[in-house]
Amino acid sequence: MSEENKHEVTMADTGRGVVAAAAGWIVPGLGHAILKRWGSAAVYFISVSVLAILGMAMRGNVFPSSSSDPFDRLGFFADLGTGMFYFLTKTFEAAGPDVSRSAGVYGTMMIATAGVLNMLFILEAFDIGRKTKS
Amino acid sequence: MLNHFQTLLLFAFIASLAFAFLSKRKLGERLKYTIWAFLAFVLVAIAIGWLLYPFTR
Repeated sequence: MSEENKHEVTMADTGRGVVAAAAGWIVPGLGHAILKRWGSAAVYFISVSVLAILGMAMRGNVFPSSSSDPFDRLGFFADLGTGMFYFLTKTFEAAGPDVSRSAGVYGTMMIATAGVLNMLFILEAFDIGRKTKS
Repeated sequence: MLNHFQTLLLFAFIASLAFAFLSKRKLGERLKYTIWAFLAFVLVAIAIGWLLYPFTR
């Protein structure tokens, strides 16, 4: 850590970081909104929601928690990163996944990308909340 | 529904914008980063598409 970024992290800072991270997981961008980063919050919400909803509209596969295959389990963790969109899968993808067509395979990747991107946003919200990132 | 190329463009734009906001703070820097990352995404995807073309038949 450079001299200018040196900051004594208090319990309150860590608490704020955890709250921002948790909020950002449930609703993408909400963690940044809590920290008054309105621009980032809007961009992050739109990014994750467009990727997740488009992926589901393309009938991508959303991996269940019960997957026995290690790669499917990785997919589950990636998908879980989308927060509320993971739990609303049945709403956005009523017909279920169809990976027999290439659109379904692309959709699977889009949902996973949305989840992984949101994980990066969550980590950033945590750092900003802890004041270890400006 | 979008065709494959439109999907690629949308994906590239969203990923570029997200990375720009994660890594840059100033508006000008973010704009520049978004444009460069978007072009890199699209050009690399097209290049990989052409490289794989002989193996599709």
